[in-house]
Amino acid sequence: MTRFVVSRLAQMLVVLFAVSVLTFLIFNVIPAGDPAARMAGKSPTPTQVEAIRAEWGFDEPLPVQYVKTMEQVLGGSAISYFTQLNVREEIVKGLPRTLSLAVGAAILWMTMGIALGLLGALRAGRISDRLITFVALAGVSLPVFWLGALMAYYLGFKAGWFPNGGYVPFTEDPLDWAYHLVLPCTALAILFIGFYSRVLRSSVLDTMSEDFVRTARAKGLSERQVLVRHVLRNSLIPIVTLWGLDFGAVVAGGAILTETVFDLQGVGQYAAESVGQLDVPPVLAVTLFGAFFIVVLNTVVDIVYAALDPRIRVTT
Amino acid sequence: MTAIRGSLTVLALVTMAAAFTACGESSGSDQASQGKQGGSITIAQTSQPDALDPAIAYTSNSWEPLWLVYTAPLTYRRAEGTEGAELIPGAAEALPTISKDGKTYSFKIRKGLKYSDGTPVKASDFEHSVKRVLNLESGGTYLFEGIDGATAYIESGDPDGDIEGIATDDKTGEVTVELTAPDGSFSNVLATNFAGLVPSNTPFSNQTKNPPPGVGPYKISKVVPNREFVMEKVDGFDIPDIPKGNIDTITTKIVQSPSRQAQDVIAGKLDYMQEPPPTDLAAEIKARYSDRYKEWPTLSVSYFFLNHDLPPFDDKEVREAVNVAIDSSAIARLFGGRLKGACSLVPEGIPGRAELDPCPYGDPDGPGDTAKAKQMVEEARATGEKVTVYTNNDSNRQEIGEYYTGLLNDIGLDAELRVVDGAVYSDTIGNQKTKAQTGIVNWYADFPHPATFIQQVDGSTIAETSNPNPSNVRDAEITDGVAELLPEPDLDTVADRWAALDQRVIEESHIAPFGSEELTTFLSDRMDFENCAIVHPLYGNDYSSFCLK
Amino acid sequence: MGQSPWRLALRRLRRDRVSLAFGALFVVLVLGALAAPLWASAVADRDPDRTNETGQIEVDGSKVDVVSLDGVPIGPQWRGEYFLGADSNGRDVMVRLLYGARNSLLIGLAAAFLTTLLATLVGLVAGYFGRWVDALARSTLDVIWAFPVILLGVALGTALAVGGLKIGPLELGAGSMTISVLVIAIVYVPYMARPIRGEVLALREREFVEAARAQGAGPLRMMAGELLPNLTSTIVVFAPLMVANAILLEAALSFLGVGVVPPDPSWGNMIDAGVERLVTAPHLAIAPGLMLVLTVLALNVFGDGVRDAFDPRSSAAWGTRRP
Repeated sequence: MTRFVVSRLAQMLVVLFAVSVLTFLIFNVIPAGDPAARMAGKSPTPTQVEAIRAEWGFDEPLPVQYVKTMEQVLGGSAISYFTQLNVREEIVKGLPRTLSLAVGAAILWMTMGIALGLLGALRAGRISDRLITFVALAGVSLPVFWLGALMAYYLGFKAGWFPNGGYVPFTEDPLDWAYHLVLPCTALAILFIGFYSRVLRSSVLDTMSEDFVRTARAKGLSERQVLVRHVLRNSLIPIVTLWGLDFGAVVAGGAILTETVFDLQGVGQYAAESVGQLDVPPVLAVTLFGAFFIVVLNTVVDIVYAALDPRIRVTT
Repeated sequence: MTAIRGSLTVLALVTMAAAFTACGESSGSDQASQGKQGGSITIAQTSQPDALDPAIAYTSNSWEPLWLVYTAPLTYRRAEGTEGAELIPGAAEALPTISKDGKTYSFKIRKGLKYSDGTPVKASDFEHSVKRVLNLESGGTYLFEGIDGATAYIESGDPDGDIEGIATDDKTGEVTVELTAPDGSFSNVLATNFAGLVPSNTPFSNQTKNPPPGVGPYKISKVVPNREFVMEKVDGFDIPDIPKGNIDTITTKIVQSPSRQAQDVIAGKLDYMQEPPPTDLAAEIKARYSDRYKEWPTLSVSYFFLNHDLPPFDDKEVREAVNVAIDSSAIARLFGGRLKGACSLVPEGIPGRAELDPCPYGDPDGPGDTAKAKQMVEEARATGEKVTVYTNNDSNRQEIGEYYTGLLNDIGLDAELRVVDGAVYSDTIGNQKTKAQTGIVNWYADFPHPATFIQQVDGSTIAETSNPNPSNVRDAEITDGVAELLPEPDLDTVADRWAALDQRVIEESHIAPFGSEELTTFLSDRMDFENCAIVHPLYGNDYSSFCLK
Repeated sequence: MGQSPWRLALRRLRRDRVSLAFGALFVVLVLGALAAPLWASAVADRDPDRTNETGQIEVDGSKVDVVSLDGVPIGPQWRGEYFLGADSNGRDVMVRLLYGARNSLLIGLAAAFLTTLLATLVGLVAGYFGRWVDALARSTLDVIWAFPVILLGVALGTALAVGGLKIGPLELGAGSMTISVLVIAIVYVPYMARPIRGEVLALREREFVEAARAQGAGPLRMMAGELLPNLTSTIVVFAPLMVANAILLEAALSFLGVGVVPPDPSWGNMIDAGVERLVTAPHLAIAPGLMLVLTVLALNVFGDGVRDAFDPRSSAAWGTRRP
């Protein structure tokens, strides 16, 4: 096990490095034009452009540029020349909002996904199963920005049942915080519920046909005991690992659309606004941090998966 | 000033004649501070103001609040309409004494004046405030460059250096400013937000996150960039003719969606929104909430600039064709009706405006004649010429761009639209390298004077970047006319000559004006709309007039 | 040996009426998109970018403004002109919807095709050669996988928004649709490459592969001749899902302003404009949204049916990942 962990961690470092290089290339090398002028944003004076050029090292050879870029972003000194705000500070400010959305949605999609998936597996082949499948597929086909906008307007403003957007910090008013998160979490979760219910269904069906389940049944355990003790526990493994990956993706920027529609002002929305303003440092920073988060989470998930299922350690 | 959203703008002005120096009678009934005292309100802006530092701030987002936090030596009467264009003493005791040669301005700071934190105001604070404007490369720098020694100060690069032309005496409170050349508009410069006084220990950097104390009915007590800022009423603020304000606390939240802002004002969760409500909700608001909603004309003009340096608009006939074809009522629909047709560059409400009746291109509020325009384009042999129309993605600017592109195609040109983000739009069209042939401009008056507008077609202001004259007009008659009229101290006597210049702009089709935008005041139910909603012609909704029912 | 897996699959698919119906739905939608110019000229008599703010049409005998003086466009008329109503510039929504379908479907299909190509290539090479080639491929896939789909799209979109793309000889203007296609294609490569690689690894040990190698077949013949044909079922199963995801991602990017740029219509940017007018003109957001949902749903249901047809007890988790 230790060997696996060590090799996985080594892999992680390599990927982190590659990710940072790729991000650097995407932002500073690939696009045509002068990167210093691009970063400086609107009406920069020549002195400002030169200052930026020196700070980020655009005149230097690529490796030096890379190091300087990483210093700026990871060191936390990068600022948006557009808003004059420190990028890392803004990311930190937006993080609780993004996390609130992600965690809330994750809890929702896991519980609903597992419930629906189990139901579908138990009624496999019957009409109710097909119906559930159809509903799941519909959920996956809904664009979250469209769904979110409609929910915010019709359920929020028109019906007045929920707030039409915005975010209230937990420290200010926990009840209001939760109230404001109902619609966005639901919109985001609907996407994943469909997917997870299908995965769980397949996983349960697979597990149910495994030998150890037949053994358990032969031993005289009731169907319910078989289900809970053996089937569920084993079929949850792939779900949990998938969940880790998706959660990472959502936090790292997958929540952009939901945040924008509901005006939660989280990290994703911060990136989206900066995109519109062609403001490079924030988008660079969010991309880098997001990708890092995913890679680290992936590694953790892989390690946990291997701990739970010994077969994996061998094949990787 | 260009668009309402938070984009930094550059004014072309160099000098201006004093607009209204006559001291009329103050009509107390127009001034605020009559309403119920106390309470707190929450208001919204769509984006973070460009800066909350008086030396740098240069958009309506920032001027609207800062006007009440920092008072300059002079200020404008806090009233509606033409009364609001009158200069009155602010931090100074009286209007400045101007020397016979027009080069020296003297005034005295009021005795006992204090900043919101209790620090006494000193005469030398004025010089410090001006130094900050010059040192921080602010958009308002050019306004003060006429002061003797200002250029030398900038070039020296030393923030603590001395500006020769400004002499102050802290004991008597006297300030004397020497200009290098007579400038009849300098009194107006002394009334801008840039001249707002700040203490002499205010650092030479953008103080947005922690604004310095100022002299005014309100002070900024808390700033969370990109989220909100809070203004609190200042006890003990007392300058005659400047209302003390009614509301105790005004919290401005940054809410990116105008739809949500409008929804919240309707529901009473928000008390005021700075931008007009989106067209979608405006219809409902006008129908059901007209008791707390009004539209008012602005000192602004919206037009399509026509680049004289590139085909096809280098040809006068093609430019005329555009003017003939424009249908303001079509564009008005995109404003939700909030547009008044225009047949001049100088807007209504400012002296020196050309009153062309009938308008040479047809009724400004009526339909355009695309058939005739198409013929004109044919005659000019410009049919099929490629044109790229520039617009931005703020509120309805994109839809206007789509209308305009369709229009140009209808009259025989080959047009396509390019949408640029609102934050970088002015810089894009102001950069000669972009080679923008045409696009939208919305220009708001900074001073109540025709020069702000005519200088947009003045050849002497053309620049490589931040070009205030995107049409690149080089019309000798206009350039010479502006140079002659600018130094004139009394606008009323030369208004008709300015109007003649305005007329020439229209007759030569240097630009294609399509109207003047109307802005709005929309308040929540708890605000007293009838008595406490004053609109200033230059600064918009006056927060110091707001009060609760 | 029994019946070829293809025949079996086809038979099962034919019995799956629901999946077939949705597959047909997708085909209908594609045909509709192709017929866009026909609709525009013959039925609606309007172009997709022809503005008409001051126009009037006849409704129940009286003249009605297409766009009211307050800026409110008319709703669906359910007949030739303005079948689904007008937008704020007076353009015909149905016409724009169909033209938008062309853009959205084109980008979606092109991107999915490119993804399939790249994923098959990478999967084949990685699975076949193994060892360091495989390690390299997996690491590259991991790197791409690390970027959240939308963020990568947005990042590339921003970076290229101003000056366009310039890598050596390859040059693309900003806002070009090709950039959208490239971004979407690259982002989904790991989703498909991994299962394909898995398949190749499994196939590699089979007898017919051993036999071919014993006969002296080189790597190219091995991959193209022996392995590839056996991958087609995997590819076919994934294809509809890739198209569905590509279409959704394109809509998301257009919604955020980095995909298809107005005035060119795409479902994403139509929804973006439409959500600003839910009070007075809900049809502007609902119409493109429904079209998008129907198209993606059709692909998903059909894709699901295809997968079931090839392996009714398939336990492979979907290759789809949601943003």
